[in-house]
Amino acid sequence: MSITLAPAPERPAPGGGPAPVLSVRDLRITFPSEAGPVEAVRGVSFDVLPGRTLGIVGESGSGKSATAMGVMGLLPPTARMSGEVLLGGRDLVGLDDTRLSRVRGREIGMVFQDPLSALTPIFSVGRLLSDALRVHQSLSKQAAWERAVELLDLVGIPEPRRRARSFPHEFSGGMRQRVVIALAMANAPSVIVADEPTTALDVTVQAQILDVLRTAQAETGAGVVLITHDLGVVAGYADEVAVMYAGRIVERAGVDALFRRPTMPYTIGLLGAVPRPDAPQDRPLVPIGGEPPSLVALPTGCPFADRCPAVLDRCRTAEPEAVPVAGHGQVACLRAEEIADGRLRADALFPAPAGSTVDTGTTGEVVLRVSGLAKTFPVTKGAFLKRRTGTLHAVSDVEFDLRAGETLGLVGESGSGKTTTLLEVLRLRPPERGRIEVAGTDVAGPLPADRLRELRGAVQIVMQDPMGSLDPRLTVFQLLAEPLQAVGVDRPAVRARVAELLGLVGLDASVTERFPAALSGGQRQRVGIARALATRPRIVVLDEPVSALDVSVQAGVVNLLTRLKRELGLAYLVVAHDLAVMRHFADRIAVMYLGHVVESGSTEALFTDPRHPYTEALLSAIPVPDPRRERTRERIVLDGEQPSATDLPQGCVFVDRCPLYRRLTDDGLRERCRTQRPALGPAAPGSDHRHACHAR
Amino acid sequence: MSRHQAAITSDSEGSAARFHPAESHVEHAQNRPTATRPPHRARYGPERRTAYRDRRTGAREGGAVLRHVMRKAVGWLAMIVVATNATYVLASWFLDPRSNYLGTRPIRTEAEIDRALAPYNLDPRVPLVDRWWHWLRDVVLHFDWGKSPVGAPVNDEIGFRVLVSGQLVTAATLLSVLLGVALSVSTASRQYGWWDRFTQLVSVFLFNVPTAVAALGVVLVGIWLNQSLGLRFLYVAGEKSPTVEGLLPTLADRLQHLILPTLSLTLLGYVGYHLTQRTLLLDAIDSDYVRTARATGLTRAQAIRRHALRASLIPTATSLAFGIPAVFTGAVVTETVFGWNGMGQYFTQTIAKNDVHGAVAVAAFGAAMTAIGAVLADIAVVVLDPRVRVN
Repeated sequence: MSITLAPAPERPAPGGGPAPVLSVRDLRITFPSEAGPVEAVRGVSFDVLPGRTLGIVGESGSGKSATAMGVMGLLPPTARMSGEVLLGGRDLVGLDDTRLSRVRGREIGMVFQDPLSALTPIFSVGRLLSDALRVHQSLSKQAAWERAVELLDLVGIPEPRRRARSFPHEFSGGMRQRVVIALAMANAPSVIVADEPTTALDVTVQAQILDVLRTAQAETGAGVVLITHDLGVVAGYADEVAVMYAGRIVERAGVDALFRRPTMPYTIGLLGAVPRPDAPQDRPLVPIGGEPPSLVALPTGCPFADRCPAVLDRCRTAEPEAVPVAGHGQVACLRAEEIADGRLRADALFPAPAGSTVDTGTTGEVVLRVSGLAKTFPVTKGAFLKRRTGTLHAVSDVEFDLRAGETLGLVGESGSGKTTTLLEVLRLRPPERGRIEVAGTDVAGPLPADRLRELRGAVQIVMQDPMGSLDPRLTVFQLLAEPLQAVGVDRPAVRARVAELLGLVGLDASVTERFPAALSGGQRQRVGIARALATRPRIVVLDEPVSALDVSVQAGVVNLLTRLKRELGLAYLVVAHDLAVMRHFADRIAVMYLGHVVESGSTEALFTDPRHPYTEALLSAIPVPDPRRERTRERIVLDGEQPSATDLPQGCVFVDRCPLYRRLTDDGLRERCRTQRPALGPAAPGSDHRHACHAR
Repeated sequence: MSRHQAAITSDSEGSAARFHPAESHVEHAQNRPTATRPPHRARYGPERRTAYRDRRTGAREGGAVLRHVMRKAVGWLAMIVVATNATYVLASWFLDPRSNYLGTRPIRTEAEIDRALAPYNLDPRVPLVDRWWHWLRDVVLHFDWGKSPVGAPVNDEIGFRVLVSGQLVTAATLLSVLLGVALSVSTASRQYGWWDRFTQLVSVFLFNVPTAVAALGVVLVGIWLNQSLGLRFLYVAGEKSPTVEGLLPTLADRLQHLILPTLSLTLLGYVGYHLTQRTLLLDAIDSDYVRTARATGLTRAQAIRRHALRASLIPTATSLAFGIPAVFTGAVVTETVFGWNGMGQYFTQTIAKNDVHGAVAVAAFGAAMTAIGAVLADIAVVVLDPRVRVN
């Protein structure tokens, strides 16, 4: 696999095949570990052309980040690397740190994943930028500072001259990522490596950051290597895509060809497993069975063989080489030709699991009713004597009903009050303001102890991080037995119930004596779900239940949750930032902004006919894993970021960022937007679809 | 850390930043797997973000820092007053100067003893409140810290001992910090290399050597050096020679006396800084911002010095400042071995001789040193960490 790719037909390379700025040939990276050498990257080759973008997608452990670090020469000293990294004709592999440092920042820039920790906290951003400039250029301090201010302006930092003196902690995550991009482009490199540049950001901010990255690319003419697990981001941004699995590129093609006719079974499975915001709700997510292999002592043969529905005996004897497929790209699969010419039907490889469709069946009685809920936190100053300097209105006015057999999703950006709402429900204490009724009982009323215990059993939680939420020193059996023992179930009954729970979540009985560390991410989350179900709850609160899981595993967990809800008549209250997942998972959605529900309704109605301008913008910001649609659809990119909830605007909370408000011509209406808080009202008389907007 | 150090007194010589190196070493080995680091560190979505805070920088900074330091200083002053007075009460309660006379011949009557103590404001027949008031008035109005049970003024003793201890401790502390931090930088950059292992071995060894043994070892080395060179170059006893006159000879003489005890204190003092700073630096080296700095074109060594070191020095600066009082009063063994009349020695003497006023003065001195250290620590943090100026 060492040939320059045929450019995607829709967008031919300018100037007819310029020389690649970066060529990677047979890159191999090995890390030592206690279990033996981890072969993180096993023979990766690709080219990056100037001004164009190569997307590298893959799940955790596929070797995509190790590849980026290898190209940058930033691997830990214990890692072993071989192969060629040709940058402008020079091989970077084997150069010492001093020589590499002359290349890094000047010829290759890098954008990192987590903007919160990527900037040195003790230097102002202007200082960081001018230092980065002065490493490679002989500029006076003054000139470097001026250039730094220009760069900040270029990446869209408002008031760059003043903000250059600010420190990283004074910026929000999105603004910090802009600074990181400015650092990467400071010396006009010919290659920019972006490692999951938007993964840690909100979806609306992600759209802004991708635009900034485009600006940086246009300004420097650099080739971009975009590494991400998000197929939607790749579809909208990349020109070519390389799919990595177990340390190798298994398929590489132009972005349109790859999404239209995926040819490697893994790619086919991945595209079937990824939730799409534009798909009708009844399209099931199809998980890829099994888990990615461990990279220590890989078996011979194709590493995907154990999960592959098209596997042949030959697949297990030798690892297939990447071969060119006519009109496509390169595919490392023995059956690529068969799949490409249609002898093996791609859409039949991963059949939808039976009964996994979202049922729109009947819902039962109301099990949770929240109205007028408010929660504030004091903002204090001073280390010793805390003085209250303000109030953070985390949740100001939230109301919703949740029925048995129904999934209600709370969506919104960070800081919109979603998690606070969940915690208030879980607390089962009188709220600061408003009313919470669980199974018909107002939690504010003085409750007898046994009723309170009963309610505690009725509301359970599944948490985001399956590793952090399971005690690493308890076995699966002990983890599942604990909630049962807490409510006084006797020993034989516990044993029976644990076996039953494992069956419910589709785990084998052999895991009972294992510790969480010995389980995969998907298995751990299943244990988390089983633990929540132990006390036969009526309401399960799910806080980002699948965001820590890989796409191919996430689909299985989503399907499991849907099945459990139907079989057990559960009611789910879900918080998730991934709106595409929500589309598949939730029956109804409430959109939150600055502690207010601004729109609520059935998922279908909300996605097809959003009423509130914020909902519109939020939905429009979700990248669609379809390159053609990504290029043609109209997008609303919101300016700025959600402000702090310490001083709420007097009128509509969204007024400062509202694109609709800016277009309004009626002065009376504008006045109302600024001064009156709109109430939730039905979109049509008698409709369940409600929104809070004066102008709609 | 600082509270821990404040608890260290005379038995732990000059070890401002000691901790258990073996433990932290093991922890490090476990926490630093090279290959098992998850590539998707921030895949938990955007929920982990902090809120956007818009704070203004500007000229107000300087004034705010000054006000901040002043406020802290006032707080510490109050602490000194409370601590000193509490020590007075406790010392008067537990230290009984009358017992000094028990062994004297001819045996004196109790009344005689009390009469002998009365001129020094130590007469047990006078109510404690009156004695305290008398003592407090003298301290506040005349800065007179009272007299020992045999009538020697405390001020005289403290005055010259502060200077004696000052030379010893200042030089040793500075050297300890410089040596410790320099070693930490050179070893953390090459973790688990031979130099790292070797220096760590030496440091752990020195950490476990009792002060007296180390001091005597230094004395032996000094004597051996003198003999083999045939000179009397290094002095092993006292802080000065009695007969030297003139400015330059006096300086040279002081220096010659200073070398060996300083060496002894430094050898034991640097260990803590080396091992703690190494741990802090290793954490910083692994951080994302050092990687970013390298990505902009700094070599690893440059990125460590410019980005990681400064951030990781902040806790060390704090612990150093809070360690000063412990070093001042804690150098007893070294002072004894080298025959220096310093504060540490005085501290043990006053307690042994039931010298209420002396003990209280030492406590007040320690409190003042703690306060000065704390204010210095605040200033150091402000200098090292510009974020504090903004907040």
